[in-house]
Formats: sequence, C-alpha cells, structure tokens
Amino acid sequence: MSFAGVNFDRRMLLLLGALAATIVATIGIHIIRDQRIADVLAIVDITGSMNTRDMGNPRGSLNRLEASRQALIDMMQDLPCQSRLGLGIFSERISFLLLDPVEICSNYDALEGAISGLDWRMAWQGDSFIAKGLYSGIDIASSLKSDLIFLTDGHEAPPLPFTGVPEFDGKPGAVEGLIVGVGGSEKTPIPKYDDEGRQVGVYNETDVPQDNRIGAAPKDAETREGYNPRNAPFGAMPTNGDEQLSSVKTAHLKDLASRTGLAYVELQNVRGIAPKLLSSTEPRIVPVNTDMAYVPALFALLSILALYALQLIERAPMRRSRVSPAVFEF
Amino acid sequence: MIFTNPIALYLLPLALIPLFLGMQRQESYPSLAGFETDRLSRAIGWALRLAGVAALASLILGMAGVALRERTIERFGQGAHIVLLIDRSASMNDTFAGRQPSGAEESKSSAAKRLIKEFVVEREHDRFGVAAFSTAPMHVVPITDHKGIVLSAIDAIDRPGLAFTDVGRGLAMALSMIEEDVHQGSRAIVLVSDGVAVVGRKIQDALRTEFARRPVHLYFVYLRTEGANSMFAEPAPGVEDTPQALPERHLNKFFQSLRIPYHAYEAENAAAVKGAITDIGKLEQTPLVYTERIPQYDLSRWAYALAALALGLLLAAKLCERTLKLPGAPGHAA
Repeated sequence: MSFAGVNFDRRMLLLLGALAATIVATIGIHIIRDQRIADVLAIVDITGSMNTRDMGNPRGSLNRLEASRQALIDMMQDLPCQSRLGLGIFSERISFLLLDPVEICSNYDALEGAISGLDWRMAWQGDSFIAKGLYSGIDIASSLKSDLIFLTDGHEAPPLPFTGVPEFDGKPGAVEGLIVGVGGSEKTPIPKYDDEGRQVGVYNETDVPQDNRIGAAPKDAETREGYNPRNAPFGAMPTNGDEQLSSVKTAHLKDLASRTGLAYVELQNVRGIAPKLLSSTEPRIVPVNTDMAYVPALFALLSILALYALQLIERAPMRRSRVSPAVFEF
Repeated sequence: MIFTNPIALYLLPLALIPLFLGMQRQESYPSLAGFETDRLSRAIGWALRLAGVAALASLILGMAGVALRERTIERFGQGAHIVLLIDRSASMNDTFAGRQPSGAEESKSSAAKRLIKEFVVEREHDRFGVAAFSTAPMHVVPITDHKGIVLSAIDAIDRPGLAFTDVGRGLAMALSMIEEDVHQGSRAIVLVSDGVAVVGRKIQDALRTEFARRPVHLYFVYLRTEGANSMFAEPAPGVEDTPQALPERHLNKFFQSLRIPYHAYEAENAAAVKGAITDIGKLEQTPLVYTERIPQYDLSRWAYALAALALGLLLAAKLCERTLKLPGAPGHAA
C-alpha cells in the first residue's frame, strides 16, 4: 500500500498510531468520574474513663483517647481527597463542636494537629451521660448535614438509672454513621489525676458513684435495708459494684446504635474505621476530574513494542526462506 | 520528583528494547564485507535507538505520573502569627442588647464570627491558630497557614456554648500554642470575650511568668452587653472596687500590669468590633517570614511531549527508508 510516494506498511501504521496516541496523551483526556467521599463529624469522648490504658499493641500501650486519636488520623489517610472531617468533643451531657467539617487533604497537617490536641483536660465536667451526648452529637451532625462518628467507651458515669437509656426523640437513621466502641473487653482500672494533671493512682470503689440516685427510686427500694421514704429512698446501704473498673460497654453501645440507626464497630476488632464508615452511610458522590491520558499512552507504548517485536517474528521466516544468510540492518 | 502512580515504573526495563532490536524493515543483502565503516550511518543508527529508548521511557514516566513535589519557599512579608482566643460561653449567643437573637439583631458570637472571618481572609500572610475557652480551655487548631481549617473553626463559634468563662486558663492554652510554634515573627493573641470571671491568683502568677518569657502582643476585644460594666470606667461611688464585683476592669488592670504591648477595645455593637479588628490589623504589620506553598507540578504532559518528539524522529527515519528491491520485482520479504 502506498500513497503519495510513502509506503504505508504495518511498521508505518504502528508508528503513526503511536505518534497520534502520544499527541492525544499530551493534549490530555479528562473525564468526569464519580468519586465516593465521606463528609463526617467525629465526636470524641474525652471523659475520665477514656484515660484507661487498655488499647494499642501490645495491649495497654495506648489509652483509649490516644487510640481514638490514632484511629481518626488513620481514617484520614484512608479516605479519598475531598472528603471532609469535622471535630467535636463530648463530656458531661452534650457534644461540643470545635470545627465544622473541612477538606482533609489540603488541611491535613492542621487537622492532624487539631486531632492530636484533643485532651481530657478540655473536659468541662466529670460526668458522662453518653446517651445524651450521642443524641446532641446527632443534632449537631444533622445541622451540618454530615455523617457522624462517635468514639466512646460507653461507660456511663453515674450509671444509668433503673429506667434505662433516655429516649431518643429524633428520627432513627436520619443521621447515619458509626458508633465506635473504644476500649478492651477486660475490666481495667481508670487512672485518677489531681488538680495539676498529674496521675495519682487509680479510682477505687468509693471514689465513684456505684448506682444512680437521681430521680425516682426503683420499685424494689422498699425492700432494701434501711429504707426510709423521706430520708433514704434508695435504702441506707452503699451499693457495691465495680464502676471504678472500665471496659468497652458493647451491649449498651449496640443498644444505642439500634435506637439511633447508627452502625456499631469496635475499635479493638478492626484495622481501620474508614471502610465501615463508607459501607454504613449513604454514598456521597462528588464529580472528580480524572486525567485519563494514561490510556492513549498505554496504547502508544504497546504499538511501539509491537513495532520492535515485528523484527523478532520477521527474522525467523526470512532465514528459512532465503538462500543468502546475510541479514542487513538499515 | 515524585510519581503519583509508581507501579507503572515496573515497565521501565522495556525501554531498553530498542538497544537490541531495530524498528526498520530488514532486507537481505549478499555481503556487507565490501562496505567501509561509515561513521554517519553509525551515528544515525544510535540516534534512532536512543530515540526509541526516549519514546518508551518517557511514555512510561508519563504513565507513572511523574511530578514535581509540592514545595514551600520562604518569603518576607508583613504580618504576624495570631492566636484567636474565643469565648464560647453561653452568653455569647445573646445579642449586644442581652436578648435572644431575633431576625433583626444578630448574636454577639455570630457578629464576631462574621467579622473575624473577614479579618482572617484579608490577612494574606498571617498564620492563625484558634483556641476556645469556656468552663475549660480548648485547643482547636494549632497555628497554621491553612486558612480553610481556621475559617471552619471560626464557623463553629456560634454554636451553643457552655456555662462559665475561665479566661485565665484560656490564655495559658493560647500561650502554649504559641510556644509550640517554631516560626519566626511577631506573635499576638486576640482575646474575644463578652465578660469574664476572676482570674485566680495562682494562674495570674503563672501567666505573668509566661508573658515575661515571651514577647506576645495581646489584644482584648470586649464585647460589652448593654448595661454591663465597662472595663475603663471608674467604679461608681458605693460600688466595691474588687475583682469579684468588676471582673472586666480588674482583668484590664492585670493585662496592663504585664508590661507587654497590650490594647483593649470595648465594643458595644458590630461596627465597633469591626473598628477594633481593623485597628489590630494596622498594628500587626511587623516584618515576617512566611512560607508560600508551590503546589505539586505535573510533569507527565512534558513526558508525553518528549515521547511525541522522539516518535517524530523515528517517523522521519521511517519516511527516509528506501527499499533495495526494484519496484514491481517479486520479493520474498515484505
């Protein structure tokens, strides 16, 4: 085949194809692709029981708060760019928003600094009404239109009253996300700190309320020792218990998760929380401009390789069919 | 130099193929012994091999997403490293008149939010950190040059706040954030609060030592609610002049006694806040080394262009190709 004095053999066609594809790659092919991202508010429990050292590898090398911070930083690395992360803390009975969600890649080091700055000293009160904190966290997330990650050990202090978990008055599932249970399954002592922030031993049985004596007394209180309707409605004897020891309260957190329509994941059992977050929330899709220039480039590469391979396949039959053994390379 | 898709680099050995195989059509010739070595031909032969290597290598580098790493360069400008220390107590959610915000009036915190955001956006070279305080001091964003996260931290300040106002510990938090920051330049704390409590003696002493150690400019923007005490006014006769009765006045006195560059602003409305912030902007104009980010630069396009050039060269060689056979003569090879 020949045109205008140029011989269009297969080599020429391959070469022209490679050149054309390379020029296309230089100009660039951009397609708009859908990228799944996360837009999430992370609320970290910073109450006293989160100082318990029962996380990390080896077990006990990290306290729960450190493990939560690490989990959030790891999650940031697992999420695609354009995902947004906000930050809040929980103490007492409400969640407190520190940061509106912000894009993670362009603010990575500052966001990492903000996560590393989360400290139990920021807590404004010692109580830990987890259910109420979670519900207020859900309110904040819904006002930000983002998903929620609530990292807690589920240790209510004081313990829940006999009436059980306070009712959730929102719509279950309106805000999606995760409750992350942080902590080990074994009961572990909680470190105790003095006014200056130095650790002074651990909590013992009489340091913490062992039962909830707020509100109405339970039905069986009358049978308790020393019961007096006015002076001792809960009975006169201190309750024994092991509220001074803490473990991750899986059953309580699963119950909260089912009430609020969130998913539950236990940090000690998973490698990262990002996959679980993405699988348990409604996909948020953003269009991403992707450069597909590698496709024509790959085509060009294969064409050139074919061009050189031609010499291999053509050389053999030539030798057999020719009388003259000399092969001339131009 | 970085690669966004480094796995393609495994293909790089393929670029050596042109050194062993030719791409021109081969034709048989009885004997080459009669020819003298021709330097030009050899040079052209090698040039074509190298062009083949260049074409393959640059295509592979382009597919690997070769790019220049993001860099930061230091420049000189004017500005400061500023920690915004913001009151998140519940009273910040009321208006300047001390009422619940209605449609017509905005709350103190949303006025502060709007104006501080403007300030952060206007100040090009400044680096900002954000700390909040209420019952406890809260570390929000360390001093950073990422404006986005600073703005989103300021976005959060008109959320419902907590009960108390512990300004002393808040200042200690702001100072520790300044301590952690290693960049050179003038440092300032902008304290935005609508009323304060007594700063305890112990914390006063600690703050005195900290401020003496480090030259920090302090700006106190007091969002005064209608009818609240002024921090400048002399106490009316009959009113006790104690920190418990007039905490703002005594906090002001304490700041004045620190012997640091200190400015106090009392703002009763959004316009006054705006004035105070503009004034702070004018005062914080010291020479400053700031870093400018040069974003990652994608070189793959240049790699493809180089490949196209090399292929052009090979094409030119191909066009120069002439067959030894006479046209029309039956040939054995293609």
